[in-house]
Amino acid sequence: MGHNGAGKSTTIDLILGLKAPDGGTATILGMEAAKNRKQVFERVGVQLQSTRYQANITVEEACMEYASLYAHPADYHRLLKDFGLGALQKSFVSKLSGGERQKLSVVLALIGNPELVFLDELTTGLDVVARREVWRTLKQLKEQGMTIFLTTHYMEEAEALCDRVCIIRSGKKVVEGTLEEVITASGKSSLEEAYLCFMGEEELL
Amino acid sequence: MKRFLTMYRVEQKLFLRTPDVLIFNLMMPLVTFLIITMIAGGKDAADSGLTYLQSAYVSLSTVGICCSAFMSIPITIVESRSQGILRRMYCSPCSPARLLACDTIASGVMAVLSTFILTVAAVGVFGYRMQGSVLVYIGVWLLTMASMFSIGLMVASLCRTTKSMNVATTVLYFPMLLFSGATIPAEVFPAGFRAVARWMPLGVGIDLLKSVSMGCYDKMAVPVFTLTAITVFCGAVAVKTFRWE
Repeated sequence: MGHNGAGKSTTIDLILGLKAPDGGTATILGMEAAKNRKQVFERVGVQLQSTRYQANITVEEACMEYASLYAHPADYHRLLKDFGLGALQKSFVSKLSGGERQKLSVVLALIGNPELVFLDELTTGLDVVARREVWRTLKQLKEQGMTIFLTTHYMEEAEALCDRVCIIRSGKKVVEGTLEEVITASGKSSLEEAYLCFMGEEELL
Repeated sequence: MKRFLTMYRVEQKLFLRTPDVLIFNLMMPLVTFLIITMIAGGKDAADSGLTYLQSAYVSLSTVGICCSAFMSIPITIVESRSQGILRRMYCSPCSPARLLACDTIASGVMAVLSTFILTVAAVGVFGYRMQGSVLVYIGVWLLTMASMFSIGLMVASLCRTTKSMNVATTVLYFPMLLFSGATIPAEVFPAGFRAVARWMPLGVGIDLLKSVSMGCYDKMAVPVFTLTAITVFCGAVAVKTFRWE
């Protein structure tokens, strides 16, 4: 978690090898993504902020294309159904609403049956119902053993999905731990208050 | 291979769904051929030794190549890059190169389809018969396609933004289409102009295809070398300077 511009997406880019670091290394599943791209991304799913799609592509075609990238893809028909997109398979991606497109990008992140998935502000732009649908599915996947790394602005999302949170500010880690640990460390009573406290915005409390 | 074909099939469908590809790549050569043939089909095209029908068939068989090389390929690649599609593909076990390969093949298939439609009209309806060897013609046509595609791929690699790509494709596409003899028969140009057309890469291909279509194989060395050199040079620049982001 962190403000706009705190470095959340940059952190993901660095871990995934999309950006070269000024210094240091990052490893996922014991490997550096930039050096072991094939092995890493066979096991790691990614939803980047604002993914765009080819013009004139349908939902089903986008799924077919992404499934073709993996050795053992998941059944995308089932994933689409789980995310409430089952009826939209033949629709053009360009005709989807913002929320539907966002859900599709999560489907595509999960299409490779990943052990670990990176979700960058996955529910930004989703309405309450859609957000709950996405949460429900992610919780199920979490229970099945998938690790989720997500960035978010929403406290209730962190509370609903996260075992551990990390708050960053201007590219630096401010605090990290379980929800309880973070709240306790701040001396406040809720995650939102703890967040504002660590961000130095206490006058807003 | 099966996975590659799945992606190729989707990309090919996307091409067939794009209206400007259908109009410029598939329709334009056919329509131009019908017009030229109906106006002057049986007349001799200047001192070329060909009738306008024979000359137009050869020239227009390269329009599909021109559209694919200087419009489809750079536009598809630069847009996939600027919209983050290649960036997203990078985050998969497959390299973004697969998408580029599928798009290049799909563009090639469009050029083949364009020439096939033209051939059906020319041979089936207007009774066109080639004097030279069809196999040699196909070989030279493929070489012309490879060299034009390598120019298109080089443009896609060198242009970092959609804006610069639009300028580059316009500067390449329209002059090649209009002045290399691909659509307007080079035979109607004044002599000075024709010399310029001959120096354009596509003009080199068209001249070579015309001689092959007449069954003249004695002056092939220089143009074949030129087209091969273009393919090797531009292909190498395209690969060296390519950025997926």
